Amino acid sequence: MSTATREAAGPGGARRPRIRRASWRGVVTVAGHEFRLRVRTGRWRWLLGAWFAVLLAFTALLRWALAETRPTPVTGPVPGPGAADVPPPAPLGTPMLGGLMLFVLGLALLVVPALTAQSVNGDRERGVLATLQVTLLTPAEIALGKLLAAWLTALVFLATTLPLVVWVMVEGGVGIARVVVTLLVVALLLGVMCAVAQCLSALLARTTTSAVLSYLTVFAATVGTVVVFALALPLTTTTEQVTERVPVWDDPPPGEAPGGPADRHAPPPHPPGQGEPDRWETRTYERSQVRPERVWWLLAPNPFVILADAAPAAEPRFDPRTGERLSNPLDPLGEIATAVRDARASEDPQAVPGIVPSGPEQPEPPRPDPVWPYGLAFDVLLAAGAIALTIRRLRTPVRSLPRGVRIA
Amino acid sequence: MGETAVPAAPEASPAAGEGISAAHVRRTFGNVVAVDDMGLTAPAGQVTALVGPNGSGKTTLLLVLATLLVPDAGEIRVAGHDPVREPREVRSRIGWMPDAFGTYDTLTPREVLQFVAAAYRLPRDRHAARARELLALVHLEDLADRPVHVLSRGQKQRLGLARALVHDPGVLLLDEPAAGLDPRSRIELRGILRDLAADGRALLVSSHVLAELEEIADRAVFVDGGRTVDEHDLTELRPTQRRPWRLRSLDQESLLSRLDGLGVTVTGQPGPAGVDVMLAGDEEAADLVAALVRDGVRVVECAPAAGTLEAAYLEMTEGRR
Repeated sequence: MSTATREAAGPGGARRPRIRRASWRGVVTVAGHEFRLRVRTGRWRWLLGAWFAVLLAFTALLRWALAETRPTPVTGPVPGPGAADVPPPAPLGTPMLGGLMLFVLGLALLVVPALTAQSVNGDRERGVLATLQVTLLTPAEIALGKLLAAWLTALVFLATTLPLVVWVMVEGGVGIARVVVTLLVVALLLGVMCAVAQCLSALLARTTTSAVLSYLTVFAATVGTVVVFALALPLTTTTEQVTERVPVWDDPPPGEAPGGPADRHAPPPHPPGQGEPDRWETRTYERSQVRPERVWWLLAPNPFVILADAAPAAEPRFDPRTGERLSNPLDPLGEIATAVRDARASEDPQAVPGIVPSGPEQPEPPRPDPVWPYGLAFDVLLAAGAIALTIRRLRTPVRSLPRGVRIA
Repeated sequence: MGETAVPAAPEASPAAGEGISAAHVRRTFGNVVAVDDMGLTAPAGQVTALVGPNGSGKTTLLLVLATLLVPDAGEIRVAGHDPVREPREVRSRIGWMPDAFGTYDTLTPREVLQFVAAAYRLPRDRHAARARELLALVHLEDLADRPVHVLSRGQKQRLGLARALVHDPGVLLLDEPAAGLDPRSRIELRGILRDLAADGRALLVSSHVLAELEEIADRAVFVDGGRTVDEHDLTELRPTQRRPWRLRSLDQESLLSRLDGLGVTVTGQPGPAGVDVMLAGDEEAADLVAALVRDGVRVVECAPAAGTLEAAYLEMTEGRR
């Protein structure tokens, strides 16, 4: 990476050098420095203590509430005469992990803008950014180092919740994969938020503006996506012509009062197959329907959706005595995931114009395709763009400065 | 990731003979013309004073030289390189001390200097030693491990100078370095700056405290309204400059009558400190003293009443009024 630092300035042209490189050592220098500043300035012990206390209280209350309202365990499909034994109760770990991780994510999304939204313009205001820019640190090293420090700080908060995660695992019902994936996704989403908040701090002159906009970004990602989805849903309503092939019996089946001619086309009172229909008739009618599969992507960038959908499905439980499959316990992550996956896959075969195959029941469809890869990819790309923009804004010498920005 | 090449060996002596040269520099911010047409030369081994009233564009010019702003126009060489096209080469060779700079209040001076050493990519085993050397240079050893926020303004100013020297640059851009310094610190700063120039570095020092610059500057560049108004070599200017001189004798009455007889106009009110007269250079002063002594006036003092810089500055602003 030490080569191709600079594009040679064109002959006679005042082309500016493009320094994009970042050495690991430079990034670590900035990150270590920033992290040290953060550690020295804040009342971290109190802040982390309060954070842990809030989460501990939440987890304890959640467990209590779940234990109180735990439904009486349902046995296998049919309680046979031999099912005197009651199967084990649904473990509390599944709903606890979901509740805890969603809560942690929500709380962390409130903390992160406070950590990062003044990263660049705050340094400029304090008059320390320019002295950094005249050193041999590249803009990329400054941006990535600052981001790394901010992200590490956010991860410290996440790490504080680990004892609670262990508690949840002790309660049972959650696999290690589910725990690891949810923690990783939360960590990644916090990094995305750090990058976006830092970018805002690089774009805007005032620290208050960038802080407010960071919080609005969090709001847009969490609440805004849901609101827009809900508002967009009615706009997707389509009116379709549905053509169906229906059996027609000319003569009323035995035992039925003879109907008028209007009744002739009514569906048979008995399921088809009870005697051969006299003929088949094609009927066409209009039907309007909302099409969530057209706007599901509006929900995809939502951090809560990504977290819920990326978590591996809760393992099915079986009664150790009978081998029967037990109903899944309450699972907030799973429910959100099912909702968004259904929204994406809601192309109901009934709604497809054309001949609907009638006959024996269709096999149960497999779990619909996931939504989280799209959401996570979008968010990570957003973060990458934010980092690129931050680097651009840190590049010196500066030709044009935004309004209200002083370089030093 | 590959380790980046250290551009200038920090132990190497500063590139001698390559100072600053700038011509027709212009920089605007929107409709505001901060620097209209400035040019200056700051040769190696000398202290060049950048003198001008507030808002005359001094700081903007220094920001351009410090590779932070792209000028709209102008030819600039700093330490032999173009700050726009080769900012890295320039940065490895310049030390910049801004007029208002922040400090990392919670760090100690030692930590600040070690971090700056890392930022300039000094070899890792040199960081601690370099910080120690600089702390000794600016007399901050006693406070090396106290947080920066306990430092006085003058001490912070000295830390700022130490930070600009971490990578042993050949060119120094100092914006108001003496602001907030007590008299003793000023004298020490003067000594440090003269030593740095004696090592062959080029120093460009901006200030509007003229008495301050008088003591250290070899050259002066006067700027006003974004333009270079005048550029002087002070050692050349001094002997021939028209400026007020102060005369004091044991008998002020006879001094005044003799001056009247010699046709020398007295400026201002004669006071116990002496009598001010306007003289055009050293020759005239020597002649006057000789004449006064010959006529029996017992002269005890004859010295310039204003510094060279102050006189030149007043002359410059006089013409603009």
